[in-house]
Amino acid sequence: MKNLLYLQGLSCGGDTISLLNAEEPDLLTALKMLGISIAWHPSLSSEEGDDVLGICSDFLEGKKSLDLLLIEGAVSTAPMGTGRIHCFMERPFAEWVRDLASVAEYTLAVGTCAATGGIPASGTNPTKATGMQFHHGKNGGVLGEDYRSRAGLPVTNIPGCPAHPDWIIETLHLVTSGKLTADLLDYANRPRLFYTGLAHHGCTRNEFYEFKSSATDFGQMGCLFEFLGCRGTQCESDCNSRLWLGRTGSCTRGGYPCIACTSQDFPPQNSRFFTTETIGNIPKYLPFDVPKAWYIGIAGLSKMATPERLKVNSVSPHPVYAQRKEERGRK
Amino acid sequence: MSRKITVNPMSRVEGDLKIKIEIADGVVKDAMASGVMFRGFEKILKNHFPEDGLVYTPRICGICSISHSIAAASALGAVSAEFTPSASGQYAKNISHATENAMSHITQFYLYFAPDLLNRKYKDLADYRVLVRRFAPLQGESVVRIMEERKRFLEILGLIVGKWPHTLAIQPGGVTRSLGSSEIFRIKGILASFTSLVEKVLLGMPLREYLEMETRADLESAFSGDGAADLGLFCRVAGEAGLMRMGSGPGRFLSAGAFPRSDGSLYIPSGYWDGERLAELEVEGITESIRYSFFTAPEGSSSPFDDASEPRWDKPGAYSWAKSPRYKGLVVEVGALARQVISGDPLIRELHSEYGSTVFTRVFARLHEAVKLLHEMGSWIELLDPEENYYKKNVVRENGAGFGITEAARGFLGHWLSVENGRIRNYQVITPTAWNCSPRDDKGRPGALEQSLMETAVEDEDNPVEVDHVIRSYDPCLVCTVH
Repeated sequence: MKNLLYLQGLSCGGDTISLLNAEEPDLLTALKMLGISIAWHPSLSSEEGDDVLGICSDFLEGKKSLDLLLIEGAVSTAPMGTGRIHCFMERPFAEWVRDLASVAEYTLAVGTCAATGGIPASGTNPTKATGMQFHHGKNGGVLGEDYRSRAGLPVTNIPGCPAHPDWIIETLHLVTSGKLTADLLDYANRPRLFYTGLAHHGCTRNEFYEFKSSATDFGQMGCLFEFLGCRGTQCESDCNSRLWLGRTGSCTRGGYPCIACTSQDFPPQNSRFFTTETIGNIPKYLPFDVPKAWYIGIAGLSKMATPERLKVNSVSPHPVYAQRKEERGRK
Repeated sequence: MSRKITVNPMSRVEGDLKIKIEIADGVVKDAMASGVMFRGFEKILKNHFPEDGLVYTPRICGICSISHSIAAASALGAVSAEFTPSASGQYAKNISHATENAMSHITQFYLYFAPDLLNRKYKDLADYRVLVRRFAPLQGESVVRIMEERKRFLEILGLIVGKWPHTLAIQPGGVTRSLGSSEIFRIKGILASFTSLVEKVLLGMPLREYLEMETRADLESAFSGDGAADLGLFCRVAGEAGLMRMGSGPGRFLSAGAFPRSDGSLYIPSGYWDGERLAELEVEGITESIRYSFFTAPEGSSSPFDDASEPRWDKPGAYSWAKSPRYKGLVVEVGALARQVISGDPLIRELHSEYGSTVFTRVFARLHEAVKLLHEMGSWIELLDPEENYYKKNVVRENGAGFGITEAARGFLGHWLSVENGRIRNYQVITPTAWNCSPRDDKGRPGALEQSLMETAVEDEDNPVEVDHVIRSYDPCLVCTVH
């Protein structure tokens, strides 16, 4: 059995809640399949108080092997780098993280906050919060750029606000089967398996996107990129094809824009949500998967070719079945 | 001889909670509840665009994320030019919000509260083996079924709000997805199958039959036989374990009201219960004290609209990152029990007048409310119009102030927003667990949980499970409390 220790720093608990939503396999089945035993988790375990101290001490003293260390939430370093503003068992949480990470076989940052700092580390950052090995896009974080776990890997980041439960469980699968190697991680130390495609891929509004047939407001069926601030074409994540909650939904299927929550710069500063900012007529943030000049050219062309059906439906809350048999093939 | 016990970390609550108690002669004499994790959302939000509240505030809490979305959206609506929300959009919001609250109640019972009933103190109870079989953490028959089925239930959220936790679908004028007849039918189906699970595992009887019970006598006769389902088992064990009168609260309740209907009325009314009678909620009566919190401010209690508190992690005498909200200067309790008493639910009113606000009545009210919500959701689904646009645009004013209040699973939740020149000047959040688990206020009065812990009898000082019961009966959510 592999021992898993799960701790929460500056977190909302959302990644744990997301993990409970896991399916195919569900969390309990996954633990059995992967041979993982939860040594302690703040909301799933019975032990509390001094017993938790005992569990952590056993790992630090080498009495038990810490095979999997999962951290959810950002890590505070205030005041003056001490992290005393957030203590866990009367000791700065940051110190616990450093000590435990030094004995962990694998260290995983679950969610955007643990990976890169996320919301607590944004704006004025009142707690001097940071991620495990990144501070937004910069290397460093609480463990420093050079940290490697006993298995020789940096912290494996599983960002997302929250992280998709599959990403957590499948990363555990990669790790427990010994298949995770450095070359399977991308520039942000995320498993390429989940973060290579874009949230845009799998979007049900893609036909509207292709013809630049856009929703002008929420509640409509059109593409959310042109006016409503969707960052799906700039968000590295497979969530829109993987889907959430029993594969029933996603952000864009729920009718609201992707806000690129898996990105290192989440939450973006000095930019607006729900509104596409433009420079001239051109969106400030352009798709990652098409060269810029081509995008602009193709967008202009496709707008001229938009079928009537898409024009009507893009601003309609429900499909308008206007296309009768005799209209097929005509303009 | 007195003995001091610190439980840190407290498990099976949301977030970081530290409890210090002092026991003398088998009774808790003093109790201090501390929230230990601070992120500074309100400071981070300053100078942001007003609509950013919809992105940031749900991320205060991963378990009542939709409640924050609802409060944020209604605060934003309150600083918008006049608009009429979409009626179907409103019911879609209600269904999502009720899904979150009902699921939270049920999950809290099985994953957080029930494991304490397996404590060694209860080894000799006749039902002990049944308790272990049903409630063992991550293994018990009921626990496994609930963990499995809660996910199917949450698919309602997938269909309406896309993903959870942390959706942006909840807007002042409705929701961002206009549901068609297929989605509506699927939502109905998911509700029906979750309801039948609840009937089987929790109630042991049809929902309708359960909801007809209005008196303690009805309850006793329904749950008297052996082999009762989980709610009946809980009632029986609660009696034998002495939970009926354990952990008495401050006796005053507050509700923000929740689930607006298209005629403007609320399914859960707002109100204040002073211990004897019901009064209207006066939002201006809410203040926050920071005397024992890690904050400094020009003066003591302040209105949420112009909170000027600054974090100070080493403030002398302070022991919690939670502030102390008070209603007209008084300590109040919030949550399902508060709501059901204020709503005038006959069964809860009767149980409350018999036992008061205790471990039993808090836990029972939570499960009772979950069942009622499942029923009510069914009637809201019927009001969803597959032809309507579920979203109505609102325009946020450049300058203004407003608040949004609602009931999260754990109770009164409020967001206070003031906007100046198109940017957030001040954003203040008061959460349910801040009401329930606050530290002492500027008059030195302990918070509701602290009061409930005091005078709690502890049978075995080496195994103070009674303290766990009292704490978890409040279903504390510390990630919300300190944000």
